[in-house]
Amino acid sequence: MIKGYAGRILRVDLAAQSFAFEPLDEETARLYIGGKGYGTRLLYDLTEPGIDPLGPANPLIFATGPLNGSVAPQSNRFAVVCKSPLTGGIGNATCGGSYAYGMKRAGIDFLIVNGRSERPVRIEVAGDQDEVRFIDAADLWGKGSYETQRILGKKMSHAVIGPAGENMVLYAGIVSNERIAARTGVGAVMGSKRLKAISVSGSRKLEMDDPESFKKYTKEVRELFSKHPVLGSSMKRYGTGAIVNTANGRNIIPTRNFKYGHFPDAMKLSGEYMEDHELVGVKSSCLHCPVTCGREVEVEGIGRVKGPEYETLALMGSNLEIPDLKRVNEWNYQADDLGMDTISLGASLSFAMELQERGMLDAGIQFGDPAGVSELIDDIAHRRGLGDDLADGTKRMSEKFGGQEFAMHVKGLELSAYDPRGSFAQGVEYATTNRGGCHVQGGSMYMESVGPLTINPQNLKLKADIPVLMQNTACAINSMVLCIFTSYGMFPAAIHAMSPNSLPYKIMTTLFENSGPMMRLAMGMKGRPMLWWEKWLTYITGQTFSSGHLQEIGARIFNLERMYNLREGLSGADDTLPQRMLNESIFPHMKSGHPLGELLPRYYRNRGWDSNGVPTKKTLARLQVRV
Amino acid sequence: MSISVELTYDMGKALGEQRIEFESAKSVKDLMQLVREIFLERGEDFEGLSRLAAIAVNGVLVNHRIGMKTPLADGDTVVFVKAAAGG
Ligand code: SF4
Repeated sequence: MIKGYAGRILRVDLAAQSFAFEPLDEETARLYIGGKGYGTRLLYDLTEPGIDPLGPANPLIFATGPLNGSVAPQSNRFAVVCKSPLTGGIGNATCGGSYAYGMKRAGIDFLIVNGRSERPVRIEVAGDQDEVRFIDAADLWGKGSYETQRILGKKMSHAVIGPAGENMVLYAGIVSNERIAARTGVGAVMGSKRLKAISVSGSRKLEMDDPESFKKYTKEVRELFSKHPVLGSSMKRYGTGAIVNTANGRNIIPTRNFKYGHFPDAMKLSGEYMEDHELVGVKSSCLHCPVTCGREVEVEGIGRVKGPEYETLALMGSNLEIPDLKRVNEWNYQADDLGMDTISLGASLSFAMELQERGMLDAGIQFGDPAGVSELIDDIAHRRGLGDDLADGTKRMSEKFGGQEFAMHVKGLELSAYDPRGSFAQGVEYATTNRGGCHVQGGSMYMESVGPLTINPQNLKLKADIPVLMQNTACAINSMVLCIFTSYGMFPAAIHAMSPNSLPYKIMTTLFENSGPMMRLAMGMKGRPMLWWEKWLTYITGQTFSSGHLQEIGARIFNLERMYNLREGLSGADDTLPQRMLNESIFPHMKSGHPLGELLPRYYRNRGWDSNGVPTKKTLARLQVRV
Repeated sequence: MSISVELTYDMGKALGEQRIEFESAKSVKDLMQLVREIFLERGEDFEGLSRLAAIAVNGVLVNHRIGMKTPLADGDTVVFVKAAAGG
C-alpha cells in the first residue's frame, strides 16, 4: 500500500445495519489522490445515473487523503461527496475540526454510507477493534449540532447533523466541532438516511515514506507561516472577515441581494471591527493548525461561540443590508447549531426580501430590518410555513414565486460573496464550477480583486485561464485533504510589502496580466516538488508531486466531476450566471454585466472541451478519465 | 452632492472617522492632497497609513484607469483599499 493511506474503505449499510472493510485501490489513489477526487470516482462508479439524491441509493462518502492524520498545518479536513439534492449534480463539501484525524486514527480512508435506516440512528466506528456499532439516536433527533456533540462527548471525533439535516433542508451541512461541511446539501443527504452522527476512534499512526524529511520540513513551514503576512498575521488577527473592507472597496460585496456591490456600512461587519468590538478570543477550530482563523465571540444567552466567516458577514450582513455584527453573530451561531450553509441561507433570505419588496411574496422580512429573521431561520430548519419554501433554496423558490432574473445561484447553488461583475475570472469560475456558484473550488478573485498582486479584473486578459489554474489547484488540495486557505501562502511577504501604487507593482501586474501562454506552459510542466503541499505529499507517499503533476490530477478530477454532471443531465447551458449578473451594471463605465458570452468559449478551449462544454475524447484519454 | 472618501480601518481609527465628505475635487490627485492635509492637521502619518492601500473610484482601481489623473465627479465614492485574504 502507498504510504499515507490507511489502506481500507469502510462500507456501512444502514438498512441492513451491516458493514464491511475493503482494501483501497492503489491505482485510483495514484490517479485521484483521495478526498473529493477519489470520492468522486467512487460516486461515479457506485451509482446508476438519475438516482434520487435524497433516496437510499445515494451514497454518502466521507473522504480523507494522505495528508490527514499528520501534523502538517491545515491538514485536518475531510471531504464529503454525494449527489447534491440542491443541484442534482455533483455534491461535495469539506470541513475542518478533528473528524479527519479521527478517521485516519481509526484506520479508514473512506467511509461509504449506503441505504437508509428506518429509525434515527448513529454509528460508532471503533477502528482498533474493526467494529461498527449501530446505536438508536431517537434521543438525539431534534437536537442542535452543538448539543449533540456535547452529549456524544470528547472520547471520539464526530460528524453530526442538526435539525436542518434531519428535515432535509436542501442546503443543510455536516458539522464537526465548530466547523461545517456546508455546501450542496450534504447534510440533507445524511438526514435522508436518518443518520444523526458518526463517531470514530482509533490509535493507528500514519505511515510515511520519509518521516524525517517530513518532520524537518514541517517545522520550516510552521516558521514560514508564522512570519507570513496572511497566514501568520491578518488571518490570525481578523479571521476571514479581513476581506470585508477590501471586497467593499472593490465593489464586489453582495448588497441588497446582489443589487449593489458596495455597502456604505460594511466597515461595521469587518474583521477589524470585530477585533475591536466583539472579539472575546481567538482559537483555531481545526486540529494542528497554527493559522487560528476561527474567531470567538459572545452571543447573549449562549456564551462564547465561533464567530462568523467572511461569507456569513457578507451574505447575512451587507446582503440583507443589516450592519449589525451582534445579530450576524447570533444568526451564525443559530445556523451552525441548526446545521445549515450560511451562504445559501443568506441568499435565500435576501431573495425572499426582494420578492417581498416587489410584492411577489408576503415574506414578513425586509432589507435593513433584522425583525423576523431569526424566527424564519428556525422555520427553515424545521420546514415550517414559509420556511419550507426557503429550505429549498433560491432556484426552486424562483420557480414557484417568480424572480428568476434575481435568484442568485448557479446550477442551483447560491453564489458566494464576490460579485462577478467586478471580478470577471471569478464569474467564469462560478459559471463553470461543477458544484455550482462557489468560490472555494478555485478562488480566482484572489488573483484579480482582493489579493496582494491583482490584475485588472474587468478586461478579458487571463479571465479564461485563471479559473482553470485555480479550479485544478483546488481539486488537488481538496483531495489531499488540505485547507484551501493554504494557497494564501503562495505570495511571499515581499509581494505583500509592495505598495500597489509603486512602479514595480505596476510592472509585475502588467507582466502577470500578459502571462497567458506562459501560464498554460507552466501548468503542464512536471518537475520537482516546490510548494509545501507538494513536498508533504512527496515525503508522505514516496511519489513525486510537482505543480505539473497536481495540475494534471486536478484537471482529471475536474473533468470526472464534469462527466458526472453531464451524466446526471446537466449541460453547457447550466454554465451561466444569474441574469442580474449578466444584464445589470453596477459600475458606471460598464453598460451591462459580466461578459460571460465572450469568455466561456475560451474557457472551454482551455479545458479541451467542445463548443457545448463536453470534454472531448482526446481530453478524457489524455487525463485518463474513465467513463 | 459631494465626493465621499472611505478610509481603511486603520486610517479611520487614526482620524476618528471612517468617511470624509469633500465638496469637490477635479482629480484623484487633488483629492489626495485634501485628504493628506486633514491627516497633517491632526498630526497623523498619512503616507505610512496609506502606503499599502490602493485607491478605487466607484470600485475601480485608479491603477486600471489613468492613475492619479483619474477625473472625479459629484457623487463619486473613493475608497482606500488594502489587499486581504479570507473566504
Ligand atoms: S486556516 Fe482556518 S479553516 Fe483552515 S485549517 Fe486553519 S483554522 Fe481551519
